Amino acid sequence: MIGITGNVIDAGAMIEAAKRPGMGALVTFCGVVRDDGGIERMELEVYEEVAVRELEAIRDETMREYPIESVDIVHRIGSLCVGDTILLIIVGAGHRKEAFAACEYIIDRLKQTVPIWKKEFCRDDERWVPGESMDRMSSRSG
Amino acid sequence: MIVRVRAFARFREILGGDLALELPDGAVMAAVLAVLRDRAGGESDAIFDETGAFRSHVILMRNGKRVKRDDLYTLVLADGDEVAIFPPVAGG
Repeated sequence: MIGITGNVIDAGAMIEAAKRPGMGALVTFCGVVRDDGGIERMELEVYEEVAVRELEAIRDETMREYPIESVDIVHRIGSLCVGDTILLIIVGAGHRKEAFAACEYIIDRLKQTVPIWKKEFCRDDERWVPGESMDRMSSRSG
Repeated sequence: MIVRVRAFARFREILGGDLALELPDGAVMAAVLAVLRDRAGGESDAIFDETGAFRSHVILMRNGKRVKRDDLYTLVLADGDEVAIFPPVAGG
């Protein structure tokens, strides 16, 4: 599954749904809102049409480059509190090493190319989280 | 012709999130930027440098495809096009 959602991400249900008989490893990356210097909440914004297309491109690239069986990526948007799940990546594979490597590749690529932004809110302050330049965006994006 | 402009994150706060710009037929990307520069007013320095050019971190798209800086004065827009403008991405 590839998706952007305004709803709570149920990691357990997604992991169960990702399982296939040939998989001996499901490696997950779960990004969470951190209390980083008094942050109380965070708002996430997306350019959804382009973000979904980029996530699909990352999934396809990863499936080509690594000997894995599946990739699921769901990214949350909207208003989140400390401890809420921002992102869940699940890589299913026969063995753990390729699943770990593929999962790391996916999160690194996502941070470079998927048009999503975060604004952090503290008690007396707010700020946009500095981002990356999208220079490695998929070729389909021009 | 009408061109839709979508701005995100900090740029949305400055420009508005979803604009419909009326431009003359045959207008190029640079024409959109001139309108946005005026619209940004006193906050334009978040997007434009002192010469009026885009800052290096600004990302532009036309119909979901990245627009190169070299193409700003040659890329002719069409009625119904969607232009997006946003700062570097920060998902994950």
